[in-house]
Amino acid sequence: MESLPASFIGMGLAAAGLAGSGIGLGFMFGKAIEAFARQPGAEAQLSKYVWIGAAFVEAIALYGLVLAFIIMGKG
Amino acid sequence: MLLTTTAISVDAAHAAAAAAPRMDPLHHFQVVKYIQMAPFGLDVSISNSVVWMWISLAAVFFFFRYAFRRPEMVPGRMQSVAEAGYLFIRGIVDENIGPSGKPFFPMVFTLFFFVLFCNWTGLIPGSFTATSQLIVTATLALGIFFLSIFLGFYKHGLKFLGFFVPSGLPVLLLPLMVPIEIISFLARPVSLSVRLFANMTAGHTVLGVLFFFAATLPWIGSWLPFGFSVVFTAVEIFIGFIQAYIFTILTCVYINDSLHLHH
Amino acid sequence: MISSAHAATEAHAQSSGLPQFDSSVFGSQIFWTIVSFLVLMYLLKRYVIPAIGDILDNRSKKIGDDLQHAEKARQDADRLLVAYREQMERARQMAAATLEEARLEASAMRDQALTELGEELAKKRAAALDEIERARVQAMEDVQAAAVDIAMLATEKLIAKSVNRAKAEEMVKDAVSHLEQNKASLH
Repeated sequence: MESLPASFIGMGLAAAGLAGSGIGLGFMFGKAIEAFARQPGAEAQLSKYVWIGAAFVEAIALYGLVLAFIIMGKG
Repeated sequence: MLLTTTAISVDAAHAAAAAAPRMDPLHHFQVVKYIQMAPFGLDVSISNSVVWMWISLAAVFFFFRYAFRRPEMVPGRMQSVAEAGYLFIRGIVDENIGPSGKPFFPMVFTLFFFVLFCNWTGLIPGSFTATSQLIVTATLALGIFFLSIFLGFYKHGLKFLGFFVPSGLPVLLLPLMVPIEIISFLARPVSLSVRLFANMTAGHTVLGVLFFFAATLPWIGSWLPFGFSVVFTAVEIFIGFIQAYIFTILTCVYINDSLHLHH
Repeated sequence: MISSAHAATEAHAQSSGLPQFDSSVFGSQIFWTIVSFLVLMYLLKRYVIPAIGDILDNRSKKIGDDLQHAEKARQDADRLLVAYREQMERARQMAAATLEEARLEASAMRDQALTELGEELAKKRAAALDEIERARVQAMEDVQAAAVDIAMLATEKLIAKSVNRAKAEEMVKDAVSHLEQNKASLH
């Protein structure tokens, strides 16, 4: 296979890793809302950890994005 | 026949692409060296990245100087904000390191506001985000990494190597676990730097794409990306804060791991 | 044709890799990041952090002092209240004591007055009784004497020589004793 089309395919595959992050974010915020519904008093404390967790999960997706950019540079 | 039509269409596409405004959202990450200097083989060229880093740091310093130009018992607006920032960092240090974290407070304080203001000044149109440069975040992360290693050996001597041996594991599992622990330890600076850099890069890339569409689409369609770019700028302000916060928290966690061997 | 287009695209792709991975700008950025970070840390440590720490310490100290003052004022107020209550209680007791004393004195005075009055009355009564007794005795004696005289005269006039003195006195005595016996009814 030519290297350019292969690199495009690779970029797409790497960026597809964002799907996992999306699942993770949805799962986390869903659980968080469930928790807030059960314990409205704990919202202030929990939301801090929700945002930290969101940043972590989001970062995982961005690793894939960075990989895609690296492949773009090499292609 | 097929080949020639393809070639022609590629040619036409190239011609069209050259005429149309070209979308290049990665363009504003380009580091431009304003002054090239390399005394004693040391590259100290001043680029747009460095200039905006300085502007951010000057903003940090003058913000605090301005907020505390007349320190008062009952704080005004700016002073309240500055004090809130101080107490916020002190809370992070106390929470994650404890009383032995007091000597690291200035470093953590500086780190947080360095990253925060670099993230935020990058949102000014026409500016440059120093923290979107992998090498800048990697320098900070490696500095923290080596600091934590130094602290571990300084405080515990060779016992610090026990950090890589999880306690309460059967001996048979050790050949498996120790390399994993070592790799996860070595991955710390990588994940720390890539997280910040990738967040900033991705956020600004999305903003760049939105701005491009807002500027080039006909008016009937441009309001959508424009409105979305406004929303996303607010999200970026929030992400800039969250990333600085996480960078700081993880720094404190790493320092704490080196100071107190919990494993 | 294809290869040239391909080459152009490839060149474009080459140039449009992430600029962050361009290692020609690493050296200066490493240097300036370290230097800038250290300079900022020095500046903040020298000028900013002590100022904020001072003002926060001062404030917490002032709040602590104010709390202490408030606590002291509260204690003072409590003490004053206790003293005031004590004073009130004392005054009340004193008033009660004075009242009791006055009551006792009054009752003593009344008793004394009563006693004196009684004594006076008794004395007056005794004196009156004495007087009466004396008057009675006197009257009795007078009556007796008068009776004797009368009897003597009458006897003298009536029976002249037949009755001597002794006989007459006996008769008078009889008469008097008769009188004495009938005194109760006479009174």
